[in-house]
Amino acid sequence: MLLTGKHVVNAVPAKVWQMLMNTDTLARIVPGISKLEKNGDNSYISTISMKLGPVSSSFTGNLQMEDIEQEKGFTLKVQQNSKIGNANAAIKIGLTPVADTQTEVSFEGDVKLSGMLASMGQRVLGGVANTLSKQFFTNMEKELAE
Amino acid sequence: MSTNGLIGKSVKRVEDKRFITGRGNYTDDIVLPHQTYASFVRCPYGHAKILSVDTSAAKTMPGVVAIYTGADVADVNGVPCGWQVNFKNGDTMKEPKHPLLVSDKARHVGDAVALVIAETKEQAVDAAEAVVVEYEELPCVVDAFKAAQPGAPLVHDDVPNNMCYDWALGNPIEEVNAAMAAAAHVTSLEFVNQRLVPNAIEPRCYNSSYDATSDKYVLYTSTQNPHVIRLLMCAFVLGLPEHKVRVVGPDVGGGFGSKIFHYTEEALLTWCTRKIGRPIKWTATRSEAFQLDAHGRDHVTKAEMGFDNDGKIVALRVKTYANLGAYLSTFGSCVPTYLHGTLLQGLYTTPKINVDVTATFTNTTPVDAYRGAGRPEATYLLERLIDLAALEMNVDPVQLRFKNFIPPFDGVNQPGYQTQVALQYDSGNYHGVLEKGLKMLGYEDVRKAQKEAAGNGKLIGVGFSTYIEACGIAPSAVVGSLGARAGLFEVGQVRVQPTGKVSVFTGSHSHGQGHETTFAQVVADKLGIPMEDVDIIHGDTDSVAFGMGTYGSRSLAVGGSAIVKSIDKIVEKGKKIAAHKLEASADDIDFTDGKFTVKGTDKSLSFGDIALTAYVPHVYPPGLEPGLDFSSFYDPANFTYPFGCHIAVVEVDKETGKVQLKRFVAVDDVGNVINPMIVEGQIHGGVVQGVGQALFEGAEYDDNGQLTNGSYMDYCMPRADDFPMFETGSQVTPCPHNPLGVKGAGEAGCIGSTPAVVNAVIDALWSGGHKVKDIRMPLTSERVWNAMQD
Repeated sequence: MLLTGKHVVNAVPAKVWQMLMNTDTLARIVPGISKLEKNGDNSYISTISMKLGPVSSSFTGNLQMEDIEQEKGFTLKVQQNSKIGNANAAIKIGLTPVADTQTEVSFEGDVKLSGMLASMGQRVLGGVANTLSKQFFTNMEKELAE
Repeated sequence: MSTNGLIGKSVKRVEDKRFITGRGNYTDDIVLPHQTYASFVRCPYGHAKILSVDTSAAKTMPGVVAIYTGADVADVNGVPCGWQVNFKNGDTMKEPKHPLLVSDKARHVGDAVALVIAETKEQAVDAAEAVVVEYEELPCVVDAFKAAQPGAPLVHDDVPNNMCYDWALGNPIEEVNAAMAAAAHVTSLEFVNQRLVPNAIEPRCYNSSYDATSDKYVLYTSTQNPHVIRLLMCAFVLGLPEHKVRVVGPDVGGGFGSKIFHYTEEALLTWCTRKIGRPIKWTATRSEAFQLDAHGRDHVTKAEMGFDNDGKIVALRVKTYANLGAYLSTFGSCVPTYLHGTLLQGLYTTPKINVDVTATFTNTTPVDAYRGAGRPEATYLLERLIDLAALEMNVDPVQLRFKNFIPPFDGVNQPGYQTQVALQYDSGNYHGVLEKGLKMLGYEDVRKAQKEAAGNGKLIGVGFSTYIEACGIAPSAVVGSLGARAGLFEVGQVRVQPTGKVSVFTGSHSHGQGHETTFAQVVADKLGIPMEDVDIIHGDTDSVAFGMGTYGSRSLAVGGSAIVKSIDKIVEKGKKIAAHKLEASADDIDFTDGKFTVKGTDKSLSFGDIALTAYVPHVYPPGLEPGLDFSSFYDPANFTYPFGCHIAVVEVDKETGKVQLKRFVAVDDVGNVINPMIVEGQIHGGVVQGVGQALFEGAEYDDNGQLTNGSYMDYCMPRADDFPMFETGSQVTPCPHNPLGVKGAGEAGCIGSTPAVVNAVIDALWSGGHKVKDIRMPLTSERVWNAMQD
């Protein structure tokens, strides 16, 4: 499943970058996250609860940041397991300055799903991804405004 | 013999009283003392090495009784395949083990890694989730053609090129090539006959138990053939003595073929029940049903049909890649060969035919017989080619058919028709069904409407399909020569009770077909007694001597004929008893309307009198045994060959590509008909399934072997409002070689309808100037719209 999107937030790239690199802030803005622990350089262990159409589940696994380019972007390697199937993805996240005070945050990646997750709800997954990314950016804006 | 007119009457189904009031007795309804419940740990990947299985946490979960993994059953045989196909060079097909639980690697999503047994279903599910399996993902192949290409990932390490077999049938390929080269016109078509999910209403369910004191097993199973399951499980998988195993197929909520096969779960539960000494029940979830019930179809084909200047077919050349899935299912090997290749004569006099099939293993669910099995694929191929040829040659598809039809023959005064592909048809009148179909359709009016429609936003199309199928699957000699590892026949026992009531034991199994009505009609009619006096017993290996089950529209043609053979024996003995009582010669006794009468007199005894006499004898003559109870093992001389004509009229929206089925005309010739209402119902159901393939359904795997539409949210099932009222007609060409003259009706609708609908859409597009040869099924709006843009 292809996952793409972008959103302009009211902050300079440096500030957005700082937020993305801060475990505590991330834990507040990523929807459904209940645990985010650093377990190495640019590496985290996470637990995320999610409702996907007819099924809901708790995902646990690794988040790993690679190809980090300061204030410009990174690739987020996602490996999440749950009782309803597993998700693997490499998502490119990019920060581009817009005007003087804004940043366009973009993401692009291919998510590989397996098990029940793959066979149930292909039709709803796109919608869920949209909703979650909207929530993420809303939370991010709220955080930036404070 | 007598008749009370029950044969041929639309008697309402007696079994519906319990079905529609929720009083059926299905396997999942059965709860045994000390019942336990099972849940499987299944691989989420299409192809993965199993690095480790850790059950330690799961074992401590509440209610857990036992957990088994692949290592525990490493020494147990896998489930067998019942049909042997040979490579062209004579080698036998590759038959890799299909283990009850995998231990080395999983080969398709849902392959079972472990079985968890617990006190409740919920506890079993929870504990199964606590089993930790470490996998190493491997590359997948999901397409039949790609699997055969060099370098494709290997599903079984010891099966080169993933090739189960390559196989050919018909005239030598050189002769076919020469005829094709000399043809005035060749129509060629490359297409995919897509994979379908069977979708029975009742998911598979098994309940297995063992009694140590009697050393006996009982397996309740949602199967289409309990005796065959017992035979396969005892003789080939578990090595159990058959007389210690009772297999019961109680009420079963539909099968469409998917419940013919011996599944790993049946054998595994039976193996485990003795280990734990308690009954174990497993009921598939709907997701498991999508993922694991053997799928149907899945061919990639290139076919060519050559014509001479007069429009006569001169040759047919077919190359098919058949997807078998990850393992050989019970009859998986015979579907693309003996149920597909042998039907490629169709209704036509084609003098040269060659069909070549390569069957491959892939990282997908095993494929096996699904309603029609092989015949829909053959019919789709032929009927698409002939309608397309008519468009290409700008001739009428009806006239092209009439020109090429095999002339009528009844199999009595004229011999059966010998095809180029092994079979000999029993009787047929193919012109008749098409003529009747055209009349019902009002063909000229439809063509006129098609021309007029060109001006508005819709395109109208009419599509034809004239099909034949091979039913009444049995003839042991024939199926044996075609590779079946067992003879096929059917058993019918008629036990007359002392009071004249009749218990009939049949080896065919009813899972929605209405045996309790149809068979009772036959028996009551033949014996001249009320239907209420007849009880049909089936589905239990302890009460029925043997049976080969129900599939391939064989119940009435083979099972019903076996019952008739036993009735003949009952009547014959009844005459002897009557002769003794009436002091006449048995030759002088007539049996009509339920009465044994001395010819030319009014001296008679009723069926009930004879029954009572049979069981309370005290003045019997020597040589006449008491009792009135006979069994017959009936093995017919040939398959039966139902045929028919299906015509679809569709409307295609020019703007959106949406297809709407406007009319559907079906004329089927299924030989003699016992219950017209049941036959019509089976035709309706079949047509819906066939149209489902044309317009809605299709299992989709991604490159990682994931079934991406494994639920009703994404897998589009046909609904009532997708259909017009069906216009059905019938013709009767009796089967010349069985005592009932019946041919079988269960699959006809599903075989005839698919090409009719696709042909209609192609015809509609051509009428709008879009000379499209093929659109991949299912014909979604998007695909039709895209086809119109090219």
